Amino acid sequence: MNDISAVVTAITGAEHVRAADHAVAVAAGSSEEVAGILRVANENRWAVAGFGGGTKQNWGYAVKPTLILEMHRLNQLREHTWQDMTCTVEAGCTWSVMQSGLAQHRQHVALDPLWPERATVGGIVATNDSGVLRLRYGGLRDLIIGMTIVLADGTIAHTGGKVVKNVAGYDLHKLMIGAFGTLGLVTSVNFRLHALPQCVSSFSVPANAAEPLGKMMLKLLHAQLCTVAIQLRGTRQGFSLDVQLSSLQEVVETQAVALRKLAECEGLSTEAAAEEVWKARQGLMENDFVCKGTMLPSQVARFAERVRAAGGESVTQATGIMYAGFPAAGVGSLPQLRSEVEIARGSLMVLQQPPEAKIDTWGTPPDSLPLMREIKRRFDPEGILNPGRFLGRI
Amino acid sequence: MLTAAIVAELREAVGTGGLIVERNQLQTYECDALAMLRTLPAAVVLPRTTAQVAAVIGICARHKIPFVGRGAGTGLSGGALPDDRGIVISFARMNRMLDIDIPNQRVRVEAGVTNSYVTQRVSSSGHFYAPDPSSQTVCTIGGNIAENSGGAHCLKYGFTTNHVLELEVVLPTGDLVHLGSPTLDAPGYDLAGVFVGSEGTLGVATSMMLRIVRRPETVQVLLAAFDSISAAGQTVSDIIAASILPSAMEIMDRLAIQAAEAAVHAHYPECQALLLVEVDGPAAEVELHMQEVRKLCRANGAWEDRLALSEQERTLVWKGRKAAFAATGRLSPDYIVQDGVIPRTKLPVVLEKVAEMAAEVGLRVSNVFHAGDGNLHPLVLYNRSIPGQEEIAVDLSMRILYLCVDQGGSITGEHGVGREKQQALGYMYSEPDLDTMQRVRCGFDPENIANPDKLFPRPRLCGEKTGKYTPHPLETAGVAEFF
Repeated sequence: MNDISAVVTAITGAEHVRAADHAVAVAAGSSEEVAGILRVANENRWAVAGFGGGTKQNWGYAVKPTLILEMHRLNQLREHTWQDMTCTVEAGCTWSVMQSGLAQHRQHVALDPLWPERATVGGIVATNDSGVLRLRYGGLRDLIIGMTIVLADGTIAHTGGKVVKNVAGYDLHKLMIGAFGTLGLVTSVNFRLHALPQCVSSFSVPANAAEPLGKMMLKLLHAQLCTVAIQLRGTRQGFSLDVQLSSLQEVVETQAVALRKLAECEGLSTEAAAEEVWKARQGLMENDFVCKGTMLPSQVARFAERVRAAGGESVTQATGIMYAGFPAAGVGSLPQLRSEVEIARGSLMVLQQPPEAKIDTWGTPPDSLPLMREIKRRFDPEGILNPGRFLGRI
Repeated sequence: MLTAAIVAELREAVGTGGLIVERNQLQTYECDALAMLRTLPAAVVLPRTTAQVAAVIGICARHKIPFVGRGAGTGLSGGALPDDRGIVISFARMNRMLDIDIPNQRVRVEAGVTNSYVTQRVSSSGHFYAPDPSSQTVCTIGGNIAENSGGAHCLKYGFTTNHVLELEVVLPTGDLVHLGSPTLDAPGYDLAGVFVGSEGTLGVATSMMLRIVRRPETVQVLLAAFDSISAAGQTVSDIIAASILPSAMEIMDRLAIQAAEAAVHAHYPECQALLLVEVDGPAAEVELHMQEVRKLCRANGAWEDRLALSEQERTLVWKGRKAAFAATGRLSPDYIVQDGVIPRTKLPVVLEKVAEMAAEVGLRVSNVFHAGDGNLHPLVLYNRSIPGQEEIAVDLSMRILYLCVDQGGSITGEHGVGREKQQALGYMYSEPDLDTMQRVRCGFDPENIANPDKLFPRPRLCGEKTGKYTPHPLETAGVAEFF
């Protein structure tokens, strides 16, 4: 351990190195320092875990790193070319610091991740987190236009660029999104930006069963409304379809009327909702067991009912991304639920579970798993980056 | 040349009617829309099923024969240009619509289905397929995926990559895999994301699940006439700054307007710069946004701004714009289309510099561009029959790309790198950047047989830095230079 400290101290200086839980934690101040640290780790085959805000370190299979590579010193919003609606931000910057910088010109990265106050850009990218805004603006793969990445052998590579439209070379940054830090360390990200909305208004449509709300959700996906966000929220008491409209004020006002009529046609009623309803996903994370499911929009109501039947609660975006929380008593049904979701061509990943629980994290791997292993081997031949954390224990 | 045994294997795989080896028939496949580069392939196969594609690529893998997929051959960067030892896999016979799922807004198609056909099949339920390359009536979805095709409406709706959910792919090893998933965020690396736009260098997609988009309630197109390109460019920046996201914003200069007008009589105003702005969405929103757009046009000196009101008028406006490249043939016997991208705010300075560079070498450059996302399409006009002029034109078009990179942009926004811009890719990315891409390449295609010698600056083989260099026929003929 002392050797490891000495080696990384030579790169960053002693003030950025400390002992941490059977590992050495080192905070890098530049891509070059990240590269230097990874180079020595690679030579010595030290397992390395990238660390941002530490909000999602328990997602994926557990890793016992030798080195924890902290990113909090790389925390600057480096460039905001507001006329071009793009920005470059360092990976250790927290989401809300970045957003408040961008808000000075009434712009934002149109994505609402978990724990924005603490979660960093790099960690959000590694776990491919996204919230309800996904419906209108897409996920990280649609919003990121370039990156700087450092590979296990210390290669510093730039991918993409600073323009939204760009088909030169491979979209390597897409490979980094959701890779759980197993292919390289992201040190900075270029985003395309959107204007902050002029007027938003949220509504909830409550019901005892999920089915009529699922029907209404599909209608909304096909309706001519300026909908930015739709989620089906399922608690043990009942369900609610939450809808957010966003446009110019006079447009939102007329569309709110249209939304009410649409609900009435389904025999449902609409009520104004507080902005708090959009934090329901984060609230679920308090549960012992938390899953992320992916499904077709037409399956959302069915699986929301299944979660309730198992004693759980859920928040599902209309794009078909579900977050479900279960008390310990409800987890017996998880294997069955996973199998049903997979038969419907979806997936179910267990994000959080107590250490003693042993439900497989990732579920059935796709037929491209051998190719994923080959890509991992080419990027990280010694297997030092978050070894075993990813799907198939990559 | 392929041995008789290999030809027999190919015939076994696709049947006699699915194999072309006669020289005169092979000529159809010797180039794509970058017609200045031509190479006769060794054979062409026309499979009907994914299993046949897998069988053909299996043969290629066993004998290390290069292959390239081909849709309609409309690519503008030589992406479908064959290798003289290689096989062209044409998707002309794989053009079935496999599934339409309106409630989930998804369709599944074979690679040879044309882009417009997807929209045609889903329009009755009020949907469309959003990526709209100008060649959309003939170009295929498979080709769109290889090139990550865009179009005028990508400003709002995104590119091919934003609309592909799952791909059925035959890898260069002959193995069949599925990349992506019918649902968003399925666990695993985003291999579909890296495959789209890889220009045939990672394998061949045989069928795919696409997202379709609800047709907007209202569409309005404004034509605004300006006395200068920079005034039109400033208007574009002002519209974006006003928090309006039009579905398309296009600028055409005088030369391009004349060409398009002569070709399709789109009733464009005669001006130095024509700005087309299309706004779509809920009727009430479109109405208000268009009022604002018109105000901004006038504030920047537009002396005419008129709305194309009917569907018929709008179609004509877009027909003129989409015909702009082909129509350039009326102005000049030969031309090169380029595809550089710059940050929107650099528009005035880049256009001025391009005009200077063109004047220096005595050539005309016409400009048609997707102004909203800074994607320039400078058309370098020249005459091949004047000795030396083609080289000057090629050189000018490449220098325009380097200028785009210098301004923080890209060498290609939608046409791809292909054979045409391989060297320019080396100007845009450093060696470590390219080597990182090469790791992906080698992970998919260790034998380097999937559309080899494209995209990357120099031919490279897996495991070594640089492969043996084979001069291109054009180079040996002294027409093009390898720099």
